[in-house]
Amino acid sequence: MDNALVVQDLEKKYGKIKALKGINFEVKPNEIFALIGPNGAGKTTALRIIATILKPDAGDAILYGTSIRKNPEQIRPVISYLPEEAGTYKNMTGFGYIKFMASLYTNDPKLRQKYLETAFEIAGLEGRMNDKLATYSKGMVRKIILARAVMTRPKLAILDEPTSGLDVINALEIRNTIKKFAQSGMTVLVSSHNMLEIEYLCDRVAMINKGEIHKIGTPSELKSEFGSQNLEEVFSEVVK
Amino acid sequence: MIRFFTLLKKEVRELLTPQMILPMLIGVLALAFIGNIVGSEGKKSQTGHSVSILDLDKTDSSGLVNKIFTESGFTVDYNTDLTAEQIIKKATDEKTGTVLIIPEGFEDGMGKLEQQKILKHSVISNFSIFATTGSAAVDLTISAVNEYFSNLMMSRSIPGEDPAVLKNPVVTDKYVSLKEKTAHISIDEVTGFITTQTMFIPIVIFMIIVSASQMIAVTIASEKENKTLETLLSTPVSRISIVTAKMTAAGLVSLLMATAYMFGMNYYINGLTGGAFSSSGDSSISSAITRLGLTLSIPDYALIGISLFLSILIALAISLILGAFAEDVKKAQGLITPILFLIMIPYLMSMFIDVGTSSTGIKLLMYAIPFSHTFSASQNLFLQNYQPVIFGIIYQSVWVIALVIIAAKIFKSDKILTMKINFSKKSLTKIRMF
Ligand SMILES: Nc1ncnc2c1ncn2[C@@H]1O[C@H](COP(=O)(O)OP(=O)(O)OP(=O)(O)O)[C@@H](O)[C@H]1O
Ligand SMILES: [Mg+2]
Repeated sequence: MDNALVVQDLEKKYGKIKALKGINFEVKPNEIFALIGPNGAGKTTALRIIATILKPDAGDAILYGTSIRKNPEQIRPVISYLPEEAGTYKNMTGFGYIKFMASLYTNDPKLRQKYLETAFEIAGLEGRMNDKLATYSKGMVRKIILARAVMTRPKLAILDEPTSGLDVINALEIRNTIKKFAQSGMTVLVSSHNMLEIEYLCDRVAMINKGEIHKIGTPSELKSEFGSQNLEEVFSEVVK
Repeated sequence: MIRFFTLLKKEVRELLTPQMILPMLIGVLALAFIGNIVGSEGKKSQTGHSVSILDLDKTDSSGLVNKIFTESGFTVDYNTDLTAEQIIKKATDEKTGTVLIIPEGFEDGMGKLEQQKILKHSVISNFSIFATTGSAAVDLTISAVNEYFSNLMMSRSIPGEDPAVLKNPVVTDKYVSLKEKTAHISIDEVTGFITTQTMFIPIVIFMIIVSASQMIAVTIASEKENKTLETLLSTPVSRISIVTAKMTAAGLVSLLMATAYMFGMNYYINGLTGGAFSSSGDSSISSAITRLGLTLSIPDYALIGISLFLSILIALAISLILGAFAEDVKKAQGLITPILFLIMIPYLMSMFIDVGTSSTGIKLLMYAIPFSHTFSASQNLFLQNYQPVIFGIIYQSVWVIALVIIAAKIFKSDKILTMKINFSKKSLTKIRMF
């Protein structure tokens, strides 16, 4: 088995709106794979289906041989999902939030302790872990949520626009964390509409527009194929 | 199971925030406070009235009027040497509610068996209830005065006969029967007792159900707003745990509120009635009530509790389903309005209408609303009508099961994330869910 995730002909409609018109792609183990495209392209819809919280109208996604459609209960323990613009429980402390989320993944106190340590290290919010999450800045919230998402070392981390709305420094820190975890053995599926930034993060990208995937490849492959300086130019060529 | 408790703990924590607790505490304190104020004012009105008496007769008989008023607990300003104008002015200045003027020749006329007039002047300083009760208390004491003098006259005119028999040759001896049990008591006393014992029950039920619905609709909508629901749904916890943890937490917290409100209500009612009907009250009434079996036993309380719990669960499940339609907290609060109506109808009806004797249409409407059965349970149990209570509990259970299944179905499908109500034609097609 050489693919971590295989997405096959995924389709999803909301009422009359066709958000996904049958998309296909594969993600290799320990790869950082990005879905890039403009607002409304269908990125979030695709990620939600793979995260087992939406049901596809047609098609399936297979994670290491397990169908997300048929066996979502087996998928959930080995993935983690970071929703777009995710918030937290504002009355919890940073520590309380991490502990609560860790308890949802394991009943084993030792394992939970390991998750907590990993999360604290990633979040790097020394001195603020006992403060209410309501007092956190946007960047701090994103760090703690990302820490939560990777602390269980999932087989697949699904991150919907993990850096959107953050300043350059915070975005860089988040990207470095993601890269570090991928190198230590974690497959990552991210989405973004910021095509310039995504070049620095991803191994391969899929360009999605209006529910269809137009092009898949490494950033350098795509750039040389179209003779462009950056992925934004490639994208505007692709969707012409 | 451990994960369920993790979720439950989190839900309870989310509910027991200062924003939630503070309004409740204020409500309870306000109730107790109002009860005490009203109660102490009421007591003042029963005992602390004042009256000005101008005695122009200055005889033993007119002196007796003064004595009867003093002994009835009035603060009497007794005068013999003022004019009518002077005493009314004085009463106005001192805010004495009532002026009584006993005319000259009062005793003489009485001796000749002629009807005598005492002038009663009410001096208005305000229109509060207690001002009126002051005047009523004076009238009540005047009848005591009448009683006294009438007995005196009768025993003088018809010596050797009992004046009580002469005045009321016919009296009623009052009994109340309930299910083959009979007690020596009047029906007014029974209803008075039952009403004071039960009047706070519907209010408490109403408050609990409303607050429980609000809580759950708000928590589910705020989870949607913050995207924590999406996170939760992607974790390995079962959907049914998420649903039941939310419902249990809101149920527990509203029971806690119920207890607090019960205490507040108890203060309120004790304040109002001055503890008149509490256990230490009139012993002949309470022993008659006990003989009639008009008390609630522990199984009765258990039945009321079960019925209330089922009502809470129904309200929670409906709110959970409605909350699932809402995208944010504000919309959630709007969406639970239908539940408020469903609770309001039986609440008001239980206070003003006797369902047993109303028309079939109203009866059916009342029985169809699941909350009605909780409102009528305590009355039925006082009357030992177990059948409707048991029927109500069964009917409510059916509702609970159906609603929990629907709620779990919504959480199992992805409708929880995709459905919303916008009341526009286009999006209404989205709510066709099953
Ligand atoms: N709950 C919903 N109900 C109806 N339509 C929806 C819903 N969610 C998404 N859509 C529609 O589906 C399409 C794809 O949306 P999606 O959120 O997947 O896009 P996206 O690529 O994530 O966009 P963005 O960059 O803005 O996040 C859009 O046309 C959107 O309007
Ligand atoms: Mg999106």
